[in-house]
Amino acid sequence: MGWKLTLLGVVAGILFLFALGLNNDPRHIPSPLVDRPAPDFAGPALDGGDPLTLSALRGRWVLVNFWGSWCVSCVAEHPYLLELDRQTRSRNDFVILGVDFKDTVDGGRAFLARHGTPSYRHVVDPEQKIAIDWGVFGAPESFLVDPEGRIRLKHVGPLYRGWFERVALPLMTSGGGKPS
Amino acid sequence: MSAWIEVGHFAALAALVLTVVQLVAPLAGIGLGRPVWIRVGRQAAFGVLLLLTVACAGVMASFLNHDFSVGYVAGHASRELPIFYLATALWGGHEGSLLLWVWLLSLFAAVAAWRHWSTHPLSMPWVLAILGATVLGFLLLVLFLSSPFERLFPPPADGRDLNPLLQDPGMVFHPPFLYLGYVGFAVPYAFAMAALITGQTGGEWILATRRWTLFAWAMLTIGIVFGAYWAYYELGWGGYWAWDPVENASFMPWLTATAFFHSVMVQERRGLFRTWNLFLIITTFALSLLGTFLVRSGVLSSVHAFATDPGRGVFILVFMTVILLFSFGLLTLRADRLKGEGQGRLENPLCRESAFLFNNLFLVVGALTVLLGTLFPLAVETLTDSKVSVGPPYFNQVFIPIMLGMLLLMGVGPILPWRRTPAGTLRRRFLIPGLVALAGLGGGWILGIGHPYGLAALALCLLVLSTHLDDLWQGTRARMRRDGAGALSALGRLVRRDKRRYGGLLTHLGLLVMVAGFIGSGLFQEERDLILQPGESTRIGEWRLTFTAMGSAARHNWVADEALVRAERGSLVLELRPQKRVYNTGRSQPTTEAAIHTTWLEDLYVVIGDPVGETGRAFRIYRNPLVAWVWWGSGIMGLGVLLALFQGRRLSRTRAVVA
Repeated sequence: MGWKLTLLGVVAGILFLFALGLNNDPRHIPSPLVDRPAPDFAGPALDGGDPLTLSALRGRWVLVNFWGSWCVSCVAEHPYLLELDRQTRSRNDFVILGVDFKDTVDGGRAFLARHGTPSYRHVVDPEQKIAIDWGVFGAPESFLVDPEGRIRLKHVGPLYRGWFERVALPLMTSGGGKPS
Repeated sequence: MSAWIEVGHFAALAALVLTVVQLVAPLAGIGLGRPVWIRVGRQAAFGVLLLLTVACAGVMASFLNHDFSVGYVAGHASRELPIFYLATALWGGHEGSLLLWVWLLSLFAAVAAWRHWSTHPLSMPWVLAILGATVLGFLLLVLFLSSPFERLFPPPADGRDLNPLLQDPGMVFHPPFLYLGYVGFAVPYAFAMAALITGQTGGEWILATRRWTLFAWAMLTIGIVFGAYWAYYELGWGGYWAWDPVENASFMPWLTATAFFHSVMVQERRGLFRTWNLFLIITTFALSLLGTFLVRSGVLSSVHAFATDPGRGVFILVFMTVILLFSFGLLTLRADRLKGEGQGRLENPLCRESAFLFNNLFLVVGALTVLLGTLFPLAVETLTDSKVSVGPPYFNQVFIPIMLGMLLLMGVGPILPWRRTPAGTLRRRFLIPGLVALAGLGGGWILGIGHPYGLAALALCLLVLSTHLDDLWQGTRARMRRDGAGALSALGRLVRRDKRRYGGLLTHLGLLVMVAGFIGSGLFQEERDLILQPGESTRIGEWRLTFTAMGSAARHNWVADEALVRAERGSLVLELRPQKRVYNTGRSQPTTEAAIHTTWLEDLYVVIGDPVGETGRAFRIYRNPLVAWVWWGSGIMGLGVLLALFQGRRLSRTRAVVA
């Protein structure tokens, strides 16, 4: 009698684990930087305007998006970023900042010209100094930085439709305080 | 733009309807007592095969026509893709792979309906219905949740191309063989379930499915080895097996299937292990499904972001839940009935039955440890908020001892008699093999094999080799004496009379060759990581390698940086050309093409890395001893199974008379 219950229990347990596992987002990678102050950076802007610093955006949620014109998945991600830009342009608590790394200025500009230029701005990081500070190992990778300048989330791979509502907004509306 | 894809799509939809007929009609036939309905179910199985063949042909034709208005074609091919890969890109992605899976399943269902129709009339309606239900589940998935038939609008001018890593013969053959293995277990599974339902739980279902199991197992073996071979020479990391979840997914059913066709022999011979055998075949098929799903759904790996497509995941989970709870539930409900019928029991710890018992124990524990290691990261990620990965250290630590235990049993089991072993037999048969093994232990020590696992494996391999050769020699000698024939013809007659046994022994020898390859490449691999300037050289093993210059190479769909490396050993001079390839003018990551020189004793394996400074280049060089033995060993195993497959039903009939 015992083995029957064990067998059915094991099978049910594995299935239950899968059911819970369905909610895992494989792109959600715990990073040692999460819940730490974001490394600040300053660098030339891709549009040739004033240099950009991260700390200047303190007080708002910042989506830092690492990309490059050499990156195939960034092409796939780009339409969503454009959409997210349109959708959040009027918010005063959220801003997007692009980091075009391991890339040339011409390459980055050509990419935006071809795939669409969003209203938010981009820092160029040709020698990957920012990317190395932030522990970026591929593109695209995105970080969500809270108003106090702490990294709250790292996302590896393209952001997907609905990501803002499903992942970012709950964090932002939980008061900006530190999660458990 | 052509209408092929619509033809395929329509055929698949029609197949869906017929699958329902295949599922319902035989059951109605039983319920209403109308055999004609069962026949309808059989015709439906043939119809499903025909329609799904058209569906696959539709997708293939769209590839061959460069019909990039089909989303699946646009995502997995391009105008530059060579025709060989174009024709096989059907299984280059998720949607097409599932279509191939379901096509193979319908093929096997049709073959089963054709071959077993008159021989197994009682099981047939259930077999038809169960296979029909499985086809139905997959077909729903293919049609509604991951359809390869969808059009894109507007159609792109060119496709995104097949992943360059998959543009390789190893990857062309790996999935179909693997799927032949996975799907092949569906038929024995269906027969086992039919036996449980009808209560015909004698040995009949096992005899009916013996060849199916062997065939599926052989295909799975070949599929796994193809995958390992591809990983070895295409991925450029110098190894062939990384205990990756995807690899484990194919290895687990292999282990339980191996356990199954060993323990089946005990049931045929002694009537023992009935419930256990049913459990093993259900588990094997369940693990095949699990493997397909783990790989195809992305629950474990991050290849397809799962959270972005919850519908597919939920469907897969519901489908698996139904199949698993139905199968294992039925097994537990009917288990008591099975117990009453068992005639024998283990009388003596030292007999072939108990060798099989331990063989099963090792294999199933092996499968469990692999399952544990594969699911552990998922559990941690789900239950806590961190990620862990379980890698080779865990698997090597738990699996190598199990493998050594298996080797010991392999050396002992086949020559132990059934029921019990007299002390004299034991001494006579194991004296020489035991001495050979001890000599191997000493010899290995002298040769400088310091690692205890290496020494143990060497000694056990020699034990297996000598017991198997001794067994062959004893049998041949007896024949020679009886028939007065020469050694070779006596051996031929011996093997022909019991192809199953000698096929099995040959498979063991093949595994032995593979184990030698595992030891050589696992324990004695040498690796050099260095930067070379043109003209500089390095040594590895007996080889002296010189980086002569960088060059370039191109085919119509790729360009490559190519290093020219001169390799010298004694008077032998070779030129190796490892490459970094970029397919389709920079639209994807560069791929590594290792330059491999294979001899029967070792592989010289050279990979280039990034440029360093003006002229320098990073190199990674491996000397992989005995790696080719892994591939040859699997070939020998294949031959062994082929031999065993030729054993017809004659054997079962003579057994039945004896019983």
